Amino acid sequence: MQITCTINGRTHRFECAPETRVLDLVREAGMTSVKAGCGEGECGACSLFVNGRLVNACLLLAPQIQDAEVVTLEGLQKETAAIRESFAEHGAVQCGFCTPGFVLRAYDYLSHGGERSEDAIKAALDGNLCRCTGYRKIVEAIAKVKS
Amino acid sequence: MNYLRATNLGEATALLAQYPEALLLCGSTDAALRLAADTATLIDIHALEELKGVSVEGDTMRIGALVTVNELLCSDAVRASLPLLAACAETFGSHQIRNLATVGGNIANASPAADLTAALVALEATVTLASQGGERTVPLEALFCGYKCTKLNHELIASVTVPRQTGRWYYRKAGMRERLNIAKVSIALTQGSGGFRISGASLGPSPLRFRTLEALLDGGVYDDAAIRAALERDADPSGGYRSTKAYRLRVAFNMIKEALSQPEEG
Repeated sequence: MQITCTINGRTHRFECAPETRVLDLVREAGMTSVKAGCGEGECGACSLFVNGRLVNACLLLAPQIQDAEVVTLEGLQKETAAIRESFAEHGAVQCGFCTPGFVLRAYDYLSHGGERSEDAIKAALDGNLCRCTGYRKIVEAIAKVKS
Repeated sequence: MNYLRATNLGEATALLAQYPEALLLCGSTDAALRLAADTATLIDIHALEELKGVSVEGDTMRIGALVTVNELLCSDAVRASLPLLAACAETFGSHQIRNLATVGGNIANASPAADLTAALVALEATVTLASQGGERTVPLEALFCGYKCTKLNHELIASVTVPRQTGRWYYRKAGMRERLNIAKVSIALTQGSGGFRISGASLGPSPLRFRTLEALLDGGVYDDAAIRAALERDADPSGGYRSTKAYRLRVAFNMIKEALSQPEEG
């Protein structure tokens, strides 16, 4: 089937089977910040925005983004600059595989006026896993993002 | 695989009549993982406006089947009138999953561990089912016929109707961790003018009301041994890989005790 959507503001057309995951489509389109982690909605490495909502791309099938606006980290470079800088400053990155998902969730959370307290940030990160080092530095980085 | 998109309820029920074995796709958090080689037809209902939105209708609340878990959490009406459901929604999946997963999907998937379903059963919700022949409304509890089994008959879930909550309530869920947590056990309890209503997740093939226990507590008997015996009669947890039957019953008992000593008011 044919799928048309925008990814980071540009129109894309895909010819694919209906059971194709959105994760695979956006990676094929060159958006490699979207990572294939657990493949079952647990790790958040494939997080992206569909019509403004942060979702797991591994759980979405291609037809569900027909006519949708998809936004990945590649399309939010300016908007996430302060968050990425804070992650670097606080050493919140080790292997980096989970980082795009964390940065997008941090952007989603902070742009909706999320509290900067440790408990609130931890709760907000319930859909993102880091398997290198833990969460302390990630939580600190998000708490200290310069506005 | 045959993919069909319904753009309105009439179209969806016509497709369902034509393809009764089709898998319905809405939030897709369960469906995407359940796609099997033999899934011949998908009917995508995620765009059905008729199945969206939360509305207050007198002393009840109508929740469209396509309302997502985060939409429940963002609804002031749900928080004010159904605090048990809001408390349950907070423990559901993760932020990203709550943005996709729908109320109707949680019910139709018919998992014994379905969080919202257990809460809605304790709240005495009814479900409105739509088919080409029209609509019918049944108690949510009566929709299930065993493990991952529903009595949906060429029908889809259109909405859930829940009476406004009154009196005391309790909700707690136990699992491996605090977040992104599949229930090992949950207990949902209300104590309104009609007496106790108690349900829970992962305590049987599908979430059901614990009627022996309700009657016992309505009679004012809070004795430990009697509560244990009633629970064992009402609940039939499996001893799956997630935990043993004895563990689930013991935790359910502890939760009931906690509910009786520290309920939420109003």
